[in-house]
Amino acid sequence: MSILLLPPLLDTSLCISDLKSRTREAALAELVHALNGGAVRDGGLLRESLARRERLATTAIGKGLAFPNVRSLSVGESRLVLARSSRGVAWDAGDRQPVHLLCAVLSPAEWTEEMHHESLTRAVNALKLQRSRQRLLDAEGERALRDLWRELLA
Amino acid sequence: MTEAHALLQVQEIDLLLQEWSLPVSRVRLVRMGFPTGDDRSLQRARQKLFTGLERRWQRLYERALLRYGRGVVGVRERVCQGCRITLPTSAAPGPGESLTLCESCGRILYWG
Repeated sequence: MSILLLPPLLDTSLCISDLKSRTREAALAELVHALNGGAVRDGGLLRESLARRERLATTAIGKGLAFPNVRSLSVGESRLVLARSSRGVAWDAGDRQPVHLLCAVLSPAEWTEEMHHESLTRAVNALKLQRSRQRLLDAEGERALRDLWRELLA
Repeated sequence: MTEAHALLQVQEIDLLLQEWSLPVSRVRLVRMGFPTGDDRSLQRARQKLFTGLERRWQRLYERALLRYGRGVVGVRERVCQGCRITLPTSAAPGPGESLTLCESCGRILYWG
């Protein structure tokens, strides 16, 4: 008997069309604040875990992209949260460019590294093409941004 | 920092260290374009937090970690996310508390 492995279900309902923060720490706090009360059980714990992951090694991969990510006890359901910053966020990227698109990949603590990386890969692949990034940067309003993000992830 | 908070931090650090220590996991991260760094400062932070815990929590955490690879697991809809058993209502923590022990598997339960 073969076992069918289904891709993990990801909640992509939250998109932030214009982050106010200019620094990495403030952007993470803003992100967690937007998530609080929903799928997140303990915002403080999540913020600390995301910050710790950044201290270990930056999650900015250049080209104006960052993927803050963590498996955490504070996460009830897996989430992909896309946030856009028109002014850019200073993020300690290798290419020294500010981050304009960030995608937080949040997985429950019970998930294996492999499952978490599967979500991370989906997010990274969706933003690989310059054309896709530009479309996301140009999308008007939160709803258009969310619809386009879902289309790119499909 | 409360005892419960410190214990949760230790679990969060261990999740990150597990991800970091697996060669296959690091290869995946590099392929995706993520820089991977040295985890010694994280191990020191973990050690500092762990030694600050009460002996009882240290013992319970280590035992579950060795046996299952996780010391603390979440509770969702009264189900232990480690062994999937439905917990009795009497298993819920008292006021102001967020941690108990799963009587079935022995993992520390986080009710946050």
